Amino acid sequence: MGNHLLEVKGVDVLYGDVQVIWDVSIHVEEGTIVALVGANGAGKTTLLKTISGIIHAKRGEILFSGKSLTRLKPQEVVDIGISHVPEGRRLFSNLTVLENLKLGAYPSRARPLFAESLERAFSLFPVLKARKGQKAGSLSGGERQMLAIARAIMAHPDILMLDEPSLGLSPIFVKTIFELIYALNKQKVTILLVEQNIHQALKIAYQAYVLKTGKIAISGGGDELLADPEVQKAYIGERWSKR
Amino acid sequence: MLEYLTFGLITQLFVNGILFGTMYGIAAIGLSLIFGTMRIIFLAQGAMIVFFAYISYWLFTLLGVDPYLSLIFVVPLSLLLGSGFYSSLFKEAAALEDKNISLLIAIGLMFLVENLMTVVWTANPRSILTTYSSFVFRPIGIIIPFTRLIALLMAVLSASGVLLFLKKTLIGMAVRAASEDMESATLMGINPHWVNVVAFSIGIGLAGIAGVGLATIYSFDPMYGFIFAIKALIALAFGGMGNVFGALLGGIILGLLESWASFFIGAGWADAVSYAVFLIMLMLKPEGLFVRSVQTA
Repeated sequence: MGNHLLEVKGVDVLYGDVQVIWDVSIHVEEGTIVALVGANGAGKTTLLKTISGIIHAKRGEILFSGKSLTRLKPQEVVDIGISHVPEGRRLFSNLTVLENLKLGAYPSRARPLFAESLERAFSLFPVLKARKGQKAGSLSGGERQMLAIARAIMAHPDILMLDEPSLGLSPIFVKTIFELIYALNKQKVTILLVEQNIHQALKIAYQAYVLKTGKIAISGGGDELLADPEVQKAYIGERWSKR
Repeated sequence: MLEYLTFGLITQLFVNGILFGTMYGIAAIGLSLIFGTMRIIFLAQGAMIVFFAYISYWLFTLLGVDPYLSLIFVVPLSLLLGSGFYSSLFKEAAALEDKNISLLIAIGLMFLVENLMTVVWTANPRSILTTYSSFVFRPIGIIIPFTRLIALLMAVLSASGVLLFLKKTLIGMAVRAASEDMESATLMGINPHWVNVVAFSIGIGLAGIAGVGLATIYSFDPMYGFIFAIKALIALAFGGMGNVFGALLGGIILGLLESWASFFIGAGWADAVSYAVFLIMLMLKPEGLFVRSVQTA
């Protein structure tokens, strides 16, 4: 076994009295793309929120480079190198594109690297440079998703967690976003990806987990799951038959 | 009728309105900042304003310190009190989902401050009489009291200062971001307590400035603050919650309304009219006059 960059061990998460995550364990190797897939309400978003400290696990442990972050607050988690692009982008829409990016570099680990990060963000997303003085709220859906990702990488994360980055985007933008995720990964950013676009996600994932009602149902390599008849029947086939 | 309505008179009413209104405006900016990050109406704002008016009064009567000079002491004191109040009273409650608890603490604080002031300074109205208190300017025939003009200047300067701070500094941006989406702000590494402290300190700091302005213009008593807080709230509703510049403009609109209402309808009607307009405003455009629409992203 290699060194796990991120390790979730036997985590239980409850909203009030309702348990939504049951004894989930996943691990993310450095430099890889790990996909977390499954139906709506399976607990994918909750798991990301638990890792980033927005909610805290009732039981279990989360380790990052061997250090526990189970009890850390979100502002502390981002400062040790885990950036979370939440579902729905959650941009500051009354702030300009540049202001959003500046806040992305708010963690102390990122501030000295601001100029360099901004250049990287603008070279990955040239459209943001052209729109840097515009309010984030005035961007198109695809541009918003780009800004959300750009803002997250301003923090110089070791791991980037993306929650449904393709949600609500046109097919062309979906393709662009997946290409970007791939490109970021080539720049040594480890990616933990939550997606409903299961086919696309499994295609780029090294390792994948299928969550079902708060439990890990199947796990394995991305290609492996893509070929798995059970996965095809339950998730991918279902999506195709809808079209 | 209305032949007495000369250009000079209209101008005078207009000027009065603006002079009154900017005081409401800076109180409203304080409310706006605190509401932005903490999602509560800080009802004790008025009591704090009167409290700082008393501090200025004390410095003047006991030590002979000029009220404007007292700003050197009052502003740091108010900033300090702001962060102290937050850390001691609101820090725990601010983290809770239920904002009513913070609101109740604010109301409790208001009663505490009001009653402490009554004990210390009695319920009798106080005012500061300096050599320049009755000094007026008379440009083009209209009357502008010196103290009002200085209060206007203080309001405009402090509002611009706050705006610059919010626009240009990283922590100012963090406050704006947190006002929009606190959870997303924490994902950027922003500590919610830190932005709350900043918003609170500046909010109370503005109360300090408004207090000094108030002390030089009006006579005040310990219970005067509540009315002031309500007026600031109306100004805030005009401007739109969490909109700093709108809050100042809202204050000015309220000042103009009161100035016109008290002249055209009667002095006793000024408050009734402003409350009525407040209600109509909330019914027709609850998001405020200067907010285009509620944005979701």
